[in-house]
Amino acid sequence: MLSLELTGISVSYPGLPAPVLDIPALSIAAGSRVAITGASGSGKSTLVNIITGLERVRSGSVIWGETDLVLMSERSRDRWRGAHIGLVMQDFHLFAGLSAVDNILLPARLSRVFKAGDKDRALQLLDAVGLSRADQKIETMSRGEMQRVAIARALLRKPGVLIADEPTASLDSDSGETVVRLLIELSLSNDSTLIVVSHDPRLTSRLDRCITLATGRITADLQRREKAA
Amino acid sequence: MTGFILTDLRRLWAGSLVLILLIAFATALGVAVTLQERALRLGSARAADKFDLVVGAPGSETQLLLSSVFLQPSPLPLMPGDVLSKLAADPRVSWAAPIGFGDSFSGYPIVGTSAALAGKLSALSEGQVFAKAGEAVVGSAVNLPIGYAVKPTHGLAELGGETHTELAYRITGRMAPTGTSWDRAILVPIQSVWSLHGMGGHSHDEAAEAHDAESHDADAHEADHDHEHAALDPAAPLDENWSAETPGLPAILVKPKTIADAYKLRQDYRGNGTLAVFPGEVLTSLYATLGDAKRVLSAVAIGAQVLVAAAVLLVTIIHVGQRRRQIGALRAFGAPQPAVLLIVWLELFILVALGIVLGFAIGYGAATFLSRLFSGESGVVLPVAFARDDLASALAITAFAAVLALVPALLAYRQSPAAALRSAA
Repeated sequence: MLSLELTGISVSYPGLPAPVLDIPALSIAAGSRVAITGASGSGKSTLVNIITGLERVRSGSVIWGETDLVLMSERSRDRWRGAHIGLVMQDFHLFAGLSAVDNILLPARLSRVFKAGDKDRALQLLDAVGLSRADQKIETMSRGEMQRVAIARALLRKPGVLIADEPTASLDSDSGETVVRLLIELSLSNDSTLIVVSHDPRLTSRLDRCITLATGRITADLQRREKAA
Repeated sequence: MTGFILTDLRRLWAGSLVLILLIAFATALGVAVTLQERALRLGSARAADKFDLVVGAPGSETQLLLSSVFLQPSPLPLMPGDVLSKLAADPRVSWAAPIGFGDSFSGYPIVGTSAALAGKLSALSEGQVFAKAGEAVVGSAVNLPIGYAVKPTHGLAELGGETHTELAYRITGRMAPTGTSWDRAILVPIQSVWSLHGMGGHSHDEAAEAHDAESHDADAHEADHDHEHAALDPAAPLDENWSAETPGLPAILVKPKTIADAYKLRQDYRGNGTLAVFPGEVLTSLYATLGDAKRVLSAVAIGAQVLVAAAVLLVTIIHVGQRRRQIGALRAFGAPQPAVLLIVWLELFILVALGIVLGFAIGYGAATFLSRLFSGESGVVLPVAFARDDLASALAITAFAAVLALVPALLAYRQSPAAALRSAA
């Protein structure tokens, strides 16, 4: 589990009058489950890119636990992200031609951190997301099944944070419901902080905290006491 | 990583195949030119190797070589017959054999010569050397059985030559393969050739004598062809005592006793109505021409390779552009930059390397095929073989390909994952 301290983050692009993201301070407690919502263009994706280290910021700080991403090189950010962040994207970004289990193991293999026990863990995770055919080729799966494989992949290396970017936006409601349930359950059982960017009220309403962004600024920050099921 | 690369290539198999074939054909073009030229050089050198010194009438050295060593049908000027008796008596000469051309049988050249040459050129694989006017020895590539009766055609049958009806040669022996044009030749006693063409120095046929005095040109006799068709006796014994009465000859093959003798003989028989050449020497000047042709062909092949390299580079750069999403995702999920670089580089390099290997195979196959075709027509065996130089050029091409493959790989390396993912959405 990792906590996040964000200070003095301001991202602007040349030609745009206002910064696309302007967050003086934001902190997320370790182990909390947070929804980030807002209209498109509100800066959600930029925020995800910054807290995952995909995009570099020049000022401020992005501190996960003890680590400040702003001070790191691109290569070490890549390495750190691979080890500590599980990513689930709207478009899955799975690799056609590979089986479900190979997709789960691919990032670990490419980073040369593949361990003997990883294959077993991948099979356990597949089971946990309710899929039994580990050798099924990814392109023969339904979209709901693909997203479940993506969740298993995100969790392989026991990340301190699970970040999902519109995980249900391209799914039908049944599949979306399963994905919501799995994200919450598995982040709990794997001791991961969960950050979800979503419009989906089924998802946002079941998390502890909901941060709303508009034109790059935090306009609402709601704490909920009741725990999600 | 290898699994991922193989899966990726399998997924893009059609494009990969086209890329491999494109590279293979470009490589094959260059390889075939090199191999074929080398085969031609080696094969002709080996074919000429058996012939130390050729003496003929003054004229084109190249034509003398082509006609005597490669048996290319072409009228040669004649030299006086007494040259043969002089050479035969020369102490520096191991043996000297006359050769006379002009006739053919179903595409095989019929060469009149002495029994000595028929035995010296190569050991007989079966039968024996001709001993009578109506006997013949065939080269290893002549597809006729021992005992077969060969009816010579004047000139080439395809060119409307006329069949000599006066004499049929019976095949009595077959030579072992020599890898020269002579493998396709039918060797007969030169005395019979003279007789058939009315130049019989020994037959004392009056008509022939008159004709002989009139002209030494073997082809000139066609004008008054009809009066010399007296039947010849195929059982007549051979007289190989060359005398001054020997009719005019197009060429004499000479085997000098030593290398020093060879040079002296060449010196002595240049001028005074004869021309002596070392086939190897004439070939060298032919190779100079061949070399120029090769340079042109190589330039064409290199041009094709450069075009293909440019096309491959263009295709892969576009391809990397289309794969921004995939590459971005790899990075986003933690694949380090060097891994991305290696994946893109390896994918392209594997295709190029396969193409080069396949290209060498195709080039070798094409050169072998062409050489067989040529051997079938000329009898000269063209040895197609790779040399050490080819390894160097293969390594050079591969190294070039490796550097070329770095271009798209570096493009992928430099891509920002966030930008790549954003461009997809």
